Amino acid sequence: MAKEERAPETEGGANASEQGEVREPRIGVYVCHCGINIAYMVDVRKVAEVAGTFPNVVVARTYPYMCSDPGQSLIRDDIEKSDLTGVVVAACSPRMHEPTFRAAVSDAGVNPYLLDMANIREQCSWIHEEPEAATEKAIDLVRAAVARASHLSPLVEREVPVTPESLVVGGGIAGIQAALDIAEAGYRVHLVEKEPTIGGRMAQLDKTFPTLDCSACILTPRMVDASRHPNIELATYSEVKEVEGYIGNFNATLTRKARYVDLEKCTNCGLCYASCPVRNVPQLREPVGIPRDLSEKDRTRLDAIIADHGIDAELLIQILQDVNIEYNYLPVDALKYVAFRLGVRPATVYHVASFYTAFSLEPRGRKIVKVCTGTACHARGAVRVLEELERRLGIGPGETTEDMAYTLLTVNCLGCCALGPVVVVDNDYHSVVPGDADAMLARYETA
Amino acid sequence: MRHVKDIADLERARREIMKGRDPDARVVAICCGTGCIACGGLTVADAFRSEVDSRALASKVRVLTTGCHGFCERGPLVVVQPAGILYQQVKPDDVAEIVETSVEGDDLVERLLYVDSASGEKIVREEDVPFYKHQTRLILGRNGALDPTSVEDYVAIGGYGSLAKALDAMTPDEIVATVKASGLRGRGGGGFSTGRKWESCLKAPGDVRYLICNADEGDPGAYMDRSILEGNPHSVLEGMVIGAFALGVTDGYIYVREEYPLAVANFTRALDDARAAGLLGVNILGTGFSFDVAVARGGGAFVCGESTALMASIEGLPGEPRPKHIHTVERGLRQRPTVLNNVETWANVPLIVDKGAEWFAAIGTEGSKGTKIFSLVGKVNNTGLVEVPMGITLREIIDDIGGGIRGGHSFKAVQTGGPSGGCISEDLLDLPVDFDRLAEAGSMMGSGGMIVMDDRNCMVDIAKYFVGFLKDESCGKCTPCREGLRQMHAILTDITEGRGEERHLDELEYISWGLEQTALCQLGSTAQNPVLTTLRYFRDEYRAHIEEKRCPAGVCKALVTYSVVADACTGCTVCAKKCPSDAIEGEPKKVHGIVQDKCIKCGICYEVCKFDAIAID
Repeated sequence: MAKEERAPETEGGANASEQGEVREPRIGVYVCHCGINIAYMVDVRKVAEVAGTFPNVVVARTYPYMCSDPGQSLIRDDIEKSDLTGVVVAACSPRMHEPTFRAAVSDAGVNPYLLDMANIREQCSWIHEEPEAATEKAIDLVRAAVARASHLSPLVEREVPVTPESLVVGGGIAGIQAALDIAEAGYRVHLVEKEPTIGGRMAQLDKTFPTLDCSACILTPRMVDASRHPNIELATYSEVKEVEGYIGNFNATLTRKARYVDLEKCTNCGLCYASCPVRNVPQLREPVGIPRDLSEKDRTRLDAIIADHGIDAELLIQILQDVNIEYNYLPVDALKYVAFRLGVRPATVYHVASFYTAFSLEPRGRKIVKVCTGTACHARGAVRVLEELERRLGIGPGETTEDMAYTLLTVNCLGCCALGPVVVVDNDYHSVVPGDADAMLARYETA
Repeated sequence: MRHVKDIADLERARREIMKGRDPDARVVAICCGTGCIACGGLTVADAFRSEVDSRALASKVRVLTTGCHGFCERGPLVVVQPAGILYQQVKPDDVAEIVETSVEGDDLVERLLYVDSASGEKIVREEDVPFYKHQTRLILGRNGALDPTSVEDYVAIGGYGSLAKALDAMTPDEIVATVKASGLRGRGGGGFSTGRKWESCLKAPGDVRYLICNADEGDPGAYMDRSILEGNPHSVLEGMVIGAFALGVTDGYIYVREEYPLAVANFTRALDDARAAGLLGVNILGTGFSFDVAVARGGGAFVCGESTALMASIEGLPGEPRPKHIHTVERGLRQRPTVLNNVETWANVPLIVDKGAEWFAAIGTEGSKGTKIFSLVGKVNNTGLVEVPMGITLREIIDDIGGGIRGGHSFKAVQTGGPSGGCISEDLLDLPVDFDRLAEAGSMMGSGGMIVMDDRNCMVDIAKYFVGFLKDESCGKCTPCREGLRQMHAILTDITEGRGEERHLDELEYISWGLEQTALCQLGSTAQNPVLTTLRYFRDEYRAHIEEKRCPAGVCKALVTYSVVADACTGCTVCAKKCPSDAIEGEPKKVHGIVQDKCIKCGICYEVCKFDAIAID
């Protein structure tokens, strides 16, 4: 699809004379007011004035609308009159009017690729609020454009054959949509996905922010479209090994991972997975069950807690509270076992266990020192009490001493606000003045 | 207590209880609220029991362990009835003397009486102490009169009479109308009309409804709900049963913070006792109406005080709020219509049913009726729980009840409404306290925390504290709250550590605006209040941090230095001994000095110096 190519110098053009002698560039600078769009913030006359002093610049002008017919003829006239070899237009984004000005210089006999644009509207006047600084920036942008224009060589256009196919790497929602758009435009697409199915992260989400729309409702129709589209070649469970070549002529090598299922015949019934003796089918969750390393004794302890509450997913938090008390933290295997017994997904149990501060996923010390950092305690110096305890125990909040004797925690309010700052060691409440925390803790160490 | 067969039987049961009790018997009521327990209340109570036993007074004297009396500053508190003598800061060693003098005899133990700091006079009776005198203790007042683990005690003072009245003489619609006419507004923070909430729930389609008591008192600095639950659980339960009858609910829940183990224990006990007495469960008071309550313990997440997060948590899910296009009164717990009210709100319901809507509406201001309990804490002389009629001024609460600022310092601000509230400055102290006036001042009633700050509190540090708190408690579901608070905290940290820039104040206001407009739940959309109110009333302090790199209150470590005032230092060596980094040098009886390189600015020297010889610049 490439249309441009750098022409050899000898093919001629405005920049080289018949004898191949290189001339000094002669550049014209045209600064556009764009009505008031640029002029209200950038002092365009000053920009032109300064641009006139740049090397190689022979003429610098301003005009209210450079893209208008009179504006364009201004450029054409100057090319003839001043024998310009390059043109810089300081105006809007090249996305807007580069084709316009290329056509204009081309009409006047200058190679269109000897034009350069300085974007002083979108990237300057519209986004700044200080006129002086904006003018300075516009001058810099023009200076850079003039420097580029001095080094430009003429280009000629020609057509070359290309392969109109595309490769989309990654079958998430973005990849699927890109593949569909290209396919609809009539081109062939190779959609490569390393997992056994397309869908990606979005297939794992419940809702999307901020509208809280159902994620699957957006995704699944597109997954089906992509798989059925005649222009899309799906390569799932595959990875891109190598890409070589250039625009219009790429070669990509895919690695298709080993599979033992005839995809043409598979109906996704899942029976093979359920009856597989080794269960090492990739990408499926670890089966929910009794964790292998959980001892008989632990099972009895956990069963007793669950029996106290009943088998009901709603009671998960209450059950975890008691497990947390029983073990002084939440061991991973206990979480898995609770998930299995309640019929809740392990991820949900982990979500709950990591959400609430009452739960600890790490083993904790024999004594738990909680420093209340509620507002009333804070106002009376709880931070300094906490720092004293940190120094004494040599650990920060949330940490446990190496000998597992103490865990230091902060708590947001213990409801003893009248006595602040308050420290709770196990279940004893202490009203501690900054400076006395050492003495308070010392009582526990001798005991 | 025996099982009560029907409505008329309740009064008979009450008389039976009263008959077994001598109205003239001495009662020693020992406060065993969490505050007093922290000061040794339980050992004092044990000492009283063994003293009474050893003097063989058990038949004549009742030792009563009660819930919180409110005056936590002076705990452990002991009140000898019927004379109403208040002894404060009682130690186990004082017990024998009290029993001999005031229980067996009719004299006073003078040294344990409360001394009024203003007049220097000793005050004998509890009700004459200024801390109590200016209060209207409709709800808290009953805490001192009963043992929270005894349903008999509650029935003896007329408890469950309102329930009997509601079941016997009122229709559900009449109860809802009464609550609406009383003007009761939610005590948990939002201040929504309780009656209107109940009405909307009744109108919502569906046969199954739920009722929840929100006891997830997460606002740091507020503990009135804890004290009610611990001190008088039956009053909350009675309110819930009345509400259940009015709303046609059979299943109720109470969601309690796990940080409140005693509240969980006492309320669970209350449920068991009430069930056994026929006041809860199947066929309540023989009327055929059935209702039961389950206790759900929270997991230590502040956001679970928010209604939708709380309901998610009861369902065993992470406590993340959902958008509330549809209110929880229509679709709440398990997608069914649900009424959620706070502990204090439920405790008000029996009073309203008993005494009528007009009586309740006569207390308070035009928009805010009844009394409100505040936890008056921070730098006042008398900290504790205070119950006052709506419309009382902040100055009355802080000066008359709280006894002014402690330690000769001067008042700077009072923070109300928890992390979503704001800081109010001195010139607004005459503001009447009600829902609407506090909101006008940029703060809010919240659940009733009232934290008083003096000249040694830095308002930038306080703003940073609240933003830091909310940053940690943000559930992370919506971006404005998760990221906005993080950025605000970073800016405030920069300011307190001497990297503040002029543009920071505008940035704080801009992020605040974004939070208010776009956060998913109230946690995020009110999180800017502490920042905006401190910016509004204490902008000078922000400027001092930013422009002069100075913390006027001497709190922000990076901006202060500690030094010894040579004229005041007596060379007592206390500071040098206490200094954790050996930064203080000096010989005994000679002026000490601080080696700045070693000083970690922990402030311990300032705290321990008895001669005000440590200066913070």
